[in-house]
Amino acid sequence: MQSKTDDNLLQQMLSDPLRREEGFRILMRQYGRTIYWHIRRIVVGHEDAEDVFQETCIKVLGSISSYRGDGSLSTWLYRVATNEALQHLRRQTHLFHSIDSLGDTLTEKLRADAMLQEDEAATLFQNALLTLPTQQRIAFNLRYYDELSYEEIARITGKSVNTLKTNYHYATEKVKTYIKEHSK
Amino acid sequence: MKDLLNDIGKKMPYQENEAYLDDLINQATEQAILHERKKKTSRRLAMMITSAAAVVLLVVGVGLTVINHGSKTVIPVQQQVESPMDQFLNSLSDEEVAQLPYYEIEEIPEY
Repeated sequence: MQSKTDDNLLQQMLSDPLRREEGFRILMRQYGRTIYWHIRRIVVGHEDAEDVFQETCIKVLGSISSYRGDGSLSTWLYRVATNEALQHLRRQTHLFHSIDSLGDTLTEKLRADAMLQEDEAATLFQNALLTLPTQQRIAFNLRYYDELSYEEIARITGKSVNTLKTNYHYATEKVKTYIKEHSK
Repeated sequence: MKDLLNDIGKKMPYQENEAYLDDLINQATEQAILHERKKKTSRRLAMMITSAAAVVLLVVGVGLTVINHGSKTVIPVQQQVESPMDQFLNSLSDEEVAQLPYYEIEEIPEY
């Protein structure tokens, strides 16, 4: 079990050009898995998640100087990863279409990846999540899987806390209805 | 819903091998470091090229100015400031000047 390096110490390392690379390695060892799964839940496909994860690493190291220390390092990482994942989804959409139109494509990717696991309940739950608008789905994932507070999610997504609370409530209702309708 | 979510928990329908994931994270981290180093090197190289080009331009500019300055025909100061009348008077000998008609200011006819 790796010991968790204090955020303040990490920040100091990252702001020092001579220790930045070392700090970045520790940062990724500490938060890499969390960020990978966050990305994976947005883009669904493993290969897509790999690409976005790589882009996120590059973006994080390249823009570390723009991190001003307001909010935790993990929140900042989530924000960069979310932006990269959304950009990846936008590149996949057809001209003049919203990323929410990618639902079917993502469901296909889920089906292909989930086939190996054969966990029906988990697959049904993911399918239900894929019916949500992308921004709502991201907020739901951050709350449900990553157990972040609404304040943290607000910092990541740029939405207000009240909007997030309402969205979470509606998302839960939609997922519930979908599961009821689709369970055998 | 709570029961259902409790049943499913946070389990994902897809999983990744732990070792594979660690490997992926390490590779992506090292790639990002390499990318950043390359970016820094090319930025430094671009700055060096720009500085060198600026120095060359400066040297060429100064050189051209010096060369052009050397080849200019310099007109004597006296020649530059003398009017044609001064030049005419200067060309006369003292005797010729004495022979010139002399007018008082009142004698100059008005036109």
